[in-house]
Amino acid sequence: MIELRHVTKRYGATLAVSDLSFRAPQGQIVGLLGQNGAGKTTTLNMLTGYFPPNEGQVLVNGMDMLQQPRECKRCIGYLPEKPPLYDEMTVAAYLTFVCELKEVERKAIPGHIREIMATCGLTEVARRLVGHLSKGFRQRVGVAQALCGNPPVIVLDEPTVGLDPRQVVEIRELMRQLGKSHTVIFSSHLLSEIQQLCQRVVILHKGRVIREADMAELTDTGDTVRLRASIAMKEKQLLPALKGLECVRRVKTLPSSASGVTEVELECTRGGDRGDPQTQLFRLLCALDAPLRMLVQQRDTLEEAFLRATSEPDT
Amino acid sequence: MISVWKRELQSYFFTPVGYLFMGVFLALASVMFYLQILAQRSSDLLTFIGQISYLWMLLTPVLTMRLLAEERQKRTDQLLLTSPVSLTGIVLGKYLAAVTVMLLTVLLTMVYALIVAIYGRVYPSELAVGLTGFILQGCAFIALDLFISGCASNPVSAAVMAFGVNFALWILDMVETSVSARWLSETLSFFSLYARNEPFLMGQLSFASIGFDLSFAAACLILTIHMLDSRRYRGA
Repeated sequence: MIELRHVTKRYGATLAVSDLSFRAPQGQIVGLLGQNGAGKTTTLNMLTGYFPPNEGQVLVNGMDMLQQPRECKRCIGYLPEKPPLYDEMTVAAYLTFVCELKEVERKAIPGHIREIMATCGLTEVARRLVGHLSKGFRQRVGVAQALCGNPPVIVLDEPTVGLDPRQVVEIRELMRQLGKSHTVIFSSHLLSEIQQLCQRVVILHKGRVIREADMAELTDTGDTVRLRASIAMKEKQLLPALKGLECVRRVKTLPSSASGVTEVELECTRGGDRGDPQTQLFRLLCALDAPLRMLVQQRDTLEEAFLRATSEPDT
Repeated sequence: MISVWKRELQSYFFTPVGYLFMGVFLALASVMFYLQILAQRSSDLLTFIGQISYLWMLLTPVLTMRLLAEERQKRTDQLLLTSPVSLTGIVLGKYLAAVTVMLLTVLLTMVYALIVAIYGRVYPSELAVGLTGFILQGCAFIALDLFISGCASNPVSAAVMAFGVNFALWILDMVETSVSARWLSETLSFFSLYARNEPFLMGQLSFASIGFDLSFAAACLILTIHMLDSRRYRGA
């Protein structure tokens, strides 16, 4: 488990990160979300011991990064924004070097590297020079070096930046696999990426944590339920009936894919005397003899949550 | 430290840097050997060693320019500094890799001694003393240039700066011999790496010079470690 306690970092007169605290629980994929310049890379650099904070503490499994740097660093594998690769080395030689740096037992290194290369899809390029690899493969080598020594925590800084869509999908799948056996902390400014992969989100804005929550909690809409329904009935007849429902606050008509079918988005109030919105809608449609083709409860998107969080005035 | 040393040593020979250093050194040393020994039918190896010791000034920047400056430029230092290896281990590993390449080169220069031994007479103890001074001087230059590599933001500026500083040390040596004020001459002489080598070139095993060269190298390495550590704290 990794914890940052009241961490502050200044670059000269510039305050990069201020009084930042958050926790990454064991076995979760935690996303660090923020706009460019929000302090994501600075936070990850402090978290991995690349440089120390001016104030505050970084704790790895209860150990202080400043007091026990070797022990802490042994627990972390880090892929910086630009993978730290030596172009003149082959992939296998490079990973062997990283294993030696991470104090992997000499005899175990060949087997360990084979395993990592298989996980990251690098077996076919093991003998090629790192400098001759495509960007996607270089990124994979970067992820592979983070896995050397089998650290329980993997930290990735914007791991999909600059990759083509296919490579992005591959790296995300790799991260999802890693999330099953490691604590993964990664930064991104791509909301969809965070939403797809993370169980927990930390939103950074101007060097401060403005929201830290589980993904479900963050995208929870409170007492509002948004439903999207496709109903086989003409709009003119349907809309007045929907507006007459006690729970419905707003009805929005959406473009329909078939004639005689109306698609609507309903903003409803949760609960009420006559049951939840879904039940009320079902009863109404039964009474109108209007077949329900589709009903989906829509959750708040991370984008909305992020915009809401970053647009709140500074505290 | 050993892993860093091994990687750097491999890197010298995976890239042209190691071959360039050894090749240029041996080519220039061969010209000097011809002019000093063969052309003059001399067996004075100490004078020859004194002459080739000036090659350190020219060539150690080639050995050291990439060591720290390139790590900084390519941001590969992020791997080293987030691994369970100390800054001292990183700096020593890199320093010892450069010293190893230098020692390999010195080993190859033994061919010259062999040629002299075939056609003339070589005094092994005298040669050993001369080589001790030669190697120690190389170690001191490498440590100094490694510090400069740590200050530079890219290998080219590291090489240019290192050559400039090495050249300034040589100029210092010339200034020392030409100034009339004794106190200034003595002060400059105290800090001159070339003046410190003179006893060895006369066949004297000078412990003062050995101590100075080793202390000079150690001071440069300690400064390098402190400079890198201070940069880490600044987050630069």
